Amino acid sequence: MTKKHSVLLKEEKCEGCTNCVKGCPTKAIRVHQGKAWIKEDLCIDCAECIRACEYHAKYTKTDQLDQIMESSEYPVLLIPPSFYSQFSAGIPAQKIKKSIINLGFEAVFDVADAAAALSRKTLDFLNNNSGNYISTSCPVIVRLIKLQYPDLIEMLIPLKSPVELIAERVERKLKEEKNIDPDIFFLTPCPAKLTTVKRAIGQNKSFLTGAIGVENIYQKIYESLADIELEEKEDQLISLATIWGSEGGEEGILRSWQELNTLSVSGIKKAKKLLNEIERNNIPEAIRYFEITSCVDGCIGGVLNVINPFQAQFNLEERIKKIRQITQEHNLVLKKEDDEFYNFALSQKITADNISKLDSNFKKAMQKLEQLQKEIDILPGLDCAACGAPDCKTFAEDVINERASRTDCIFMLRKQLSRLADDLSILANELPPVMASKKEEADDS
Amino acid sequence: MSLQKQQILNKEIESFDFQSGGEASSDLKNILRKLGVPSAIVRKTAIITYELEMNVVIHSLGGEITALISEDELEIRVDDSGPGIEDLDKAFTAGFSTASDEIREMGFGAGMGLVNVKRYADQIDVKSSKDDGTHVKVIINLAN
Repeated sequence: MTKKHSVLLKEEKCEGCTNCVKGCPTKAIRVHQGKAWIKEDLCIDCAECIRACEYHAKYTKTDQLDQIMESSEYPVLLIPPSFYSQFSAGIPAQKIKKSIINLGFEAVFDVADAAAALSRKTLDFLNNNSGNYISTSCPVIVRLIKLQYPDLIEMLIPLKSPVELIAERVERKLKEEKNIDPDIFFLTPCPAKLTTVKRAIGQNKSFLTGAIGVENIYQKIYESLADIELEEKEDQLISLATIWGSEGGEEGILRSWQELNTLSVSGIKKAKKLLNEIERNNIPEAIRYFEITSCVDGCIGGVLNVINPFQAQFNLEERIKKIRQITQEHNLVLKKEDDEFYNFALSQKITADNISKLDSNFKKAMQKLEQLQKEIDILPGLDCAACGAPDCKTFAEDVINERASRTDCIFMLRKQLSRLADDLSILANELPPVMASKKEEADDS
Repeated sequence: MSLQKQQILNKEIESFDFQSGGEASSDLKNILRKLGVPSAIVRKTAIITYELEMNVVIHSLGGEITALISEDELEIRVDDSGPGIEDLDKAFTAGFSTASDEIREMGFGAGMGLVNVKRYADQIDVKSSKDDGTHVKVIINLAN
């Protein structure tokens, strides 16, 4: 079976502790036989387990550079805004791009260009539609909503993510202009974007061929920078939408154009809190747009990045300042004329992952619910996770779904042992027939 | 008369307990998901129960929330022990609130509580008296 997800387990490194089990926001991990297995249908690729694991047993396998160069005839790479946070703002963007080309890519493209276009489209959408919307840019958040907040699916803005937008455009452009069928790779800061390659959101198929983790090529790029000379004073201008790389970037762009009530939240725990409040209508309706990212600080907080998020934040801010300066000096506005080349609409509806229901038959589900309550009542409620599930309630659900046995709980095991010991002592005290007195035998007969 | 309903939730709500206020609606939401109730109905229920739950927290001396379900109907009962709603008609008027300034500062008391409940409920029945507290019964249809 091919893996649906990008977060994997290095079995030999897993100690069977339950740190990741406890830290998983969708309760997707169980320790069985000393190893922490991820339940694929519950995983949203948020990488919290990678962050939680002290033994580095959870990892992401992205595409390898040499493999790409070997197998692809025309590889191109898409650079996310957050990637620029990995370098000091003094290093021209052009230099970084050249260095990537030197690795063997035919061309590189800035996702920020599509992000800028998407922001314009988003504003347009918000001005022409009533209601409140959630950004679809972070695939983890979209998956979280599909899984745990299906009633909020209608709030997801029905527009492609910047990566898919630019990938589609690049594919079309190269086809039309050069009759080339490129392999489009994404330089990813997180495992979630890698999963998107295999399972696109709201699309039949992703326009990406693969994704390569920042950590995979960072060293090579960094080392080669010193040797790269820019031919003339090449224009360093990259889009102001590079600000998308950190939390508040998307809303910042929107609000720089129009007064708009927006809210940005980063980090999966906070995201869940916000979604809970939205779900119960406890958030002002005046907030039209929510930018929600799973990683704390936004994409610069992605686990595949190399630089620590604080330094990354600083780097990005410095670079934004520079971009602003250049934009003002040259009196440039964010380009609008090429927006029509993007195909913004999602081709498919985003649908719920209805996997939390106990049974598709209502009566059976009710029976199971009753069973579940009984099971919860007899469990100790300590949420110790020694059974391998994150808490007693989740364990109870595993038990009634026959994915765990009650004695996997050490407290239940102890109870059963104690009952067994009682039975044993009763049995031990019963005299065998040969030793019973004659009188008893006589009574029996 | 609908089919026999089974109780799926019963929770006490304490007055001014903002820490756990909202738990009942979260619990009920999770239970309904487990039962495979369509998400639009789950959302409605979450909004209704949260409003009613917070009403008990903010306005009452404490109470309880009970949910009962059959295949075609969900019934939510919220009972508190007072002090009762003085003017029911006003309580159903948008923007009317008796909440204190303190409560309003917390973002509550916009006067939309019962108005919203009524908007999302398929049936609503409120009984209130000074001596006997407030008793709300909401019905949400599950059958199409």
